[in-house]
Amino acid sequence: MTAVTYLEAIGQAIREEMRRDEAVFLLGEDVGTYGGAFKVSAGLMEEFGSERVIDTPMAEAAIIGSAVGAAIMGMRPIAEMQFIDFITCGFDQIVNMASKFYWRSGIPAPMVIRGPSGGGVKGGPFHSASPEAWFFHVPGIKVVVPSTTYDAKGLLKAAIRDNNPVLYLEHKLLYRLPELREELPEEDYTVPLGKAITRRAGEDMTILTYGAMVHQCLKAAQTLEQEDDLDVEVVDLRSLMPLDREAILESVKRTNKVLIVHEDTLTGGIGAELAAMLAEDLFEYLDGPITRVAAPDAPFPYAPPLEEAYLPNAEKILAAARKLAAY
Amino acid sequence: MPTPVKMPRLGESVAEGTVGSWLKQEGDWVEKDESLAEIITDKINAELPSPVAGRLAKILVQPDQTVAVGVDIALIEENADVAASQSVEAAPGPDAAPVESPARANVAVMDKQSASDGNGSKAAVQPSRVGEEERQRISPLARRLAREHGIDLNDIAGTGTGGRVRKEDILAYIEQQQAAPAVPSYAAAAQAPATQPVYSSPAPVAQPGYTPAAPSAPKAEPAPTVIGPDEELVTPSRMRLAIAEHMVRSKRTSPHATTVVEVDMTNIAKWLEKNKEDFKRREGYSISYVPFVMKAVCEGIRKVPTINSSWTEDNKIIIKKRINLGMAVATDAGLVVPTLYDTDQYTIAGLAKQIAAIAQRARSNKLTVQDMQNSTFVVNNPGTFGTIISVPIINQPHAGILSMDAVVKRPVVIEDDAIAVRYMMYLCLSFDHRILDGAGAGGFLQAVRTKLQSYGREIDAY
Repeated sequence: MTAVTYLEAIGQAIREEMRRDEAVFLLGEDVGTYGGAFKVSAGLMEEFGSERVIDTPMAEAAIIGSAVGAAIMGMRPIAEMQFIDFITCGFDQIVNMASKFYWRSGIPAPMVIRGPSGGGVKGGPFHSASPEAWFFHVPGIKVVVPSTTYDAKGLLKAAIRDNNPVLYLEHKLLYRLPELREELPEEDYTVPLGKAITRRAGEDMTILTYGAMVHQCLKAAQTLEQEDDLDVEVVDLRSLMPLDREAILESVKRTNKVLIVHEDTLTGGIGAELAAMLAEDLFEYLDGPITRVAAPDAPFPYAPPLEEAYLPNAEKILAAARKLAAY
Repeated sequence: MPTPVKMPRLGESVAEGTVGSWLKQEGDWVEKDESLAEIITDKINAELPSPVAGRLAKILVQPDQTVAVGVDIALIEENADVAASQSVEAAPGPDAAPVESPARANVAVMDKQSASDGNGSKAAVQPSRVGEEERQRISPLARRLAREHGIDLNDIAGTGTGGRVRKEDILAYIEQQQAAPAVPSYAAAAQAPATQPVYSSPAPVAQPGYTPAAPSAPKAEPAPTVIGPDEELVTPSRMRLAIAEHMVRSKRTSPHATTVVEVDMTNIAKWLEKNKEDFKRREGYSISYVPFVMKAVCEGIRKVPTINSSWTEDNKIIIKKRINLGMAVATDAGLVVPTLYDTDQYTIAGLAKQIAAIAQRARSNKLTVQDMQNSTFVVNNPGTFGTIISVPIINQPHAGILSMDAVVKRPVVIEDDAIAVRYMMYLCLSFDHRILDGAGAGGFLQAVRTKLQSYGREIDAY
C-alpha cells in the first residue's frame, strides 16, 4: 500500500464508484483523452470507455444540464468543471433545475458537480474562485469541501451515493501537496455528509474552518500553543451544507470564543451564516466577539504579492486569535 | 511635606467612617474643595472635599475600609509642580485641613435614617451602582455566569481588553469564594458587634485605626446567592445597605413596643380648611397638621422627659434637655430625616416656617451635616400616604418614634352617646421598653392627645 495524494484520492473515488455502480459516469472538458486538466481522471477512459468518461464541449451549462437530465433518468453523473470558476456558466441549471427538481416532481437528481477551487497557485481572477457561498444559499444543494486526502476520497464517495445534487469543492493547492500524502484504507469507506471533524482539540478557543484553511489554522494553533500557551480547537467543517450544527455548538459552548476562517471573501460568506447562528443560539456562552478571518471583499488578484496579501494565512489567523483571546 | 487628608467627623456621635470610593486616583490633580472621595458613615454619605489643591500623592485607605475619625486617609502633594523645592509655608499642619468641620454647607448629604419611619420602601434605591454596572464591560458569557452564581459584577475586576470581565475573571472569583469561609448573610457579617450581648462593655470605637470590618483578616465574603430562572438579583445601594444595617441594629438594640392612641383632630382640621390658603398667601409657606403634632409632642416630652432620652452602652440613660425633633422629608434621592433644633421654642407658625425651610433644603440637596445630626426624637408622617396605622422602627439611639397617620373622617361616639362625624387620627408610638414602660408611653401619648384636642375653633398660630 502506498501513500497517495489528495488528487489521486479523488481519482480513486471516481474509479471505485464507477466500478461499484454502472450508473456513475464522468463528464467534463478534457476529462477523457487528456485525463483532466489536473490529471484527476487519468486512466479512467481507458478503463471505462468513452461512454462513461465523456469529453464535452467548453459549455458548462450544457455539461451541468446534461448531468441534471441524466440524474433524473436514474444515472449518477459526476460533472467536472475544469476550474470551478466556470461553474457560473451553469448557474441556472444548478439553482433552477438540479436544486429544485425533487421538490417539483418528486424525482431525485443524484449528481455531483466537482472541480478545482481556491487560490494560492497564482491563478488570477478567473482560476482561483471559492464559490461555496453562492450555492450555500440555495436550498436543495449540498456543499462539501475536503481538506485531507482521506476526506477527499470519502466525501466524494458519499457525495456520489447521495440522492441530492452535491457540489464537491476540491482545493487545487492541496492536489499534490506532499504533506497531505496519506495511506488510505484498502476497504471501501465514506465520510458522511454533514459531519464536521475536530482536527485539534482545545479549550480556549474554537476555530471553525474548512478546505485549505484548515492547514493554516492548525499552523496558527500550534504557534498559539507554543508562544501564547493557548489551547485552540480547530474544527474542520467538511460539509457546509448541511452544517454540523451539533458539533459547532458543542465546541463553542465549551470554549466560549470562536474564530471563523475561510478563504472566500468576507461579506455574505459562510462565516456570516456561522456567526449569525452562534449569536442566535449561543449568545450567553460567548466570552468575546465572533471573529472572522476571510479574504477582503475584492476580486482575486493576479500579482503574486497581492495574492499573498489577499489570502488569509496562519499569520493573519494568529493575529486575530490573539486579539480574541485577550478580549 | 504632603498634606494629609483625614477621615472627617461627619456627625457628632460618629467615630469612624468608611471610604466608599475614591473619586480621584493617585497622581490626579485636585483643586481645593474638589471632591476627593465618597465617605460613608452610619449617619450619612458625603463627598469629601480636598483640603488643599495639589496632586493626590497616595491613597492610604482603600474603598470599603473603615477607619476612625482623624486617621490619615490620603496624602496630597501641594507643590507637585515644583517637586524638588518644598516651601515651608506650603505645608500647613494637619489642623489646616478644613474637612473636619462638620458644618460644610456644600457637603451633599443623604441620611439613612430615612427608613426609621418603618416605611422603608419610600427610600429610593440609588441608581448609581446600577449605572456603573451598565458601563462596565462584560462578555455575554461572564454576565450569564455571574447571574447564575449570584455574583455582583461590581466585585470583579476584569482582566480582558479595556478591563472587560470575562470567563477567566468569573471562574477565578468563584474559586476564590469557595476557598474563603462562607458567611451566612450581610447582616450577620456587618453586625458582628450586635451578636454580642446588648449590655456588653462599649466597643473601643474611638481607638485610632480601629476597623470593625477587620481588614487585617481576609474580608469574609458571604456565600453567593443562587437565584432561580424567574428571579432577579438586585444589589442594594450603599444607602440601602446602611438602612438595612441600621434597621437590624435598631431592632436588636431596642426591645420595641408599640402603642396607639386615637386623636380627634376636628378643630385643627376645620381651622386648616378655613385658614390654609390665607396662611400660605400671607406667609409664603404652607401649614399642615405636622407643626401641631410637633408642638404637642414637645408638650408630651415635657410631661414624660424619658421619651427624649438614650440608653447608653454602659447601661445609663441620658435624658436630653433640648428637644430636637427629626422630621421625615421625602426627596428625589430618598427619605431624609433632618433635625428641627429646639422644636419646643417655636409657635405653630414658627414651626411651619422651619419645616418649610428644612423641607426645601432637603429637596434641593442643601442639607448640612448639622441638619443631619443631634435629633432626639422623630416625628414621622406616613399619613400623607394614606396609612392609618404604622409601627415604626426607632431611629437609634432614640427612646421612641411617633408616627402620625392619616386624618380621616369617621363616625365617632361623642358625649351623651351621640354619633358624630369627626376628623380622627391614630398616633402610633414605638418606644424602647428598656427606657419606658407602657405607663410612660401611654402618659406621653395622652399628653400629646390632650394638647391636640385642646384647640378650639379659633386657633392662634402665632
